[in-house]
Amino acid sequence: MTRSVSLRLRVNGVPLERSIPPNRILLDLLREDLNLTGTKRGCDLGTCGCCTVLLDGVPTLSCLTLAKLVEGTEVTTVEGLGEHGELTALQRAFVERGATQCGFCTPGFLMTATALLRDHPTVSRKEIQEALSGNLCRCTGYVKIIEAVEAASRSGASPSLP
Amino acid sequence: MAYALHFPRTLDEAFRLLDPEGTEGALPLAGGTDLLPAVEAGRWHPSALVSLSRLPLGTFERTEHEILIGGTLPLRRLEREPDIVRLLPGLVEAIREVGSVPLRHRATLGGNVVRASPASDLLPPLLALEASLDLRSRDGTRRVALGDFLRGSWETTLRPGELVERIRIPVPRPSSYRWQRVRPANDISQVGVACALASSDGRSPWRIAAGGVEPHPQRLPGAEAALSHEDPTPGEIEEAVHRAVEGSRLKDDRRAGEEYRRHLLGVLLRRSITSTVSRARTMGGRGT
Repeated sequence: MTRSVSLRLRVNGVPLERSIPPNRILLDLLREDLNLTGTKRGCDLGTCGCCTVLLDGVPTLSCLTLAKLVEGTEVTTVEGLGEHGELTALQRAFVERGATQCGFCTPGFLMTATALLRDHPTVSRKEIQEALSGNLCRCTGYVKIIEAVEAASRSGASPSLP
Repeated sequence: MAYALHFPRTLDEAFRLLDPEGTEGALPLAGGTDLLPAVEAGRWHPSALVSLSRLPLGTFERTEHEILIGGTLPLRRLEREPDIVRLLPGLVEAIREVGSVPLRHRATLGGNVVRASPASDLLPPLLALEASLDLRSRDGTRRVALGDFLRGSWETTLRPGELVERIRIPVPRPSSYRWQRVRPANDISQVGVACALASSDGRSPWRIAAGGVEPHPQRLPGAEAALSHEDPTPGEIEEAVHRAVEGSRLKDDRRAGEEYRRHLLGVLLRRSITSTVSRARTMGGRGT
């Protein structure tokens, strides 16, 4: 058996040091080791976007990422959005517009859209569609999700990250 | 599924770790978007993964006649590189259709070329753009034209212990990539056609390559020869389409049937030629 490797990183603002197997996938580290189950395992192939987290602010598919490769970075999961238990403007827009049904894909959409709105506070519908094209939703037909991101964009509130 | 994970900081160290006689079953790891799912699913059983992330292979350079893309540069970086956007429009069009934004933050051009997927959306434009590869090993660097590098589906002439140091592409190249697929994002094209205009040196200036053909993406010399100059007549374009369609063996698989692909090849070739002609007008002169 291959021996463990050490890993240092920050998750949602909290510094962390762990001993992990070298083949630990970031998604499993988050869900199994840290109990951050907001990040979902969908296709495990990098196709559905459900496992999207932010690595130093960049949307990343955690199912395709070895945990050891993100050494020294800041990982943000859906649990890290908002402060003091408050939802972000984007999350509120999702609630108000009914942009979720079963909710399984929602964390991935939130993370992708959070990065989009941070980089481009006002975005066009087309830019939203392009940015979200890597996230699959099997319930909503996407219309409400796109409307929610548009609404958050219009509200001008910048997304809150740790 | 246990494997060791290495992060060499120098090429010498990487070559030692990848030496098939030293470490049996060690594989280089670039973006990992293809490799990690295969390992996780148990299709491959490497003894070690050698991450290329800390090696000096993420370089980008523009000379007078070439763009040199480091083997481990992520696709997302390339699609935003102003020199690539301006000088190689056909390549950018293809890169922007690969997977999704998060995937492209990790996936690399070097990795895509080395995997040599017969369904790659990047191989047709790279072939039309006459890309070549600098392959680095402990014996030095050798240069190979991409057309000679590809040997079959998933097969290349890469030797054990070799890494893609950089991909060289002559510039500028008015170029275009046209494709058809079931859904735009997170999918792979049924057929993709790339055209590029090179300097003519007495031959046709057209370089045309297609994916969705057997056995892997390749140049279409018959179609190229039908176009003798940069602004072909409608009749010449139809002759090029005729030769492409007649001269190609189309794939027949779950993505699309052979007949539909044959239809697509003609439609997409016409569109790609037309788009390349209009880009040539705005881009001005060719590179060598």
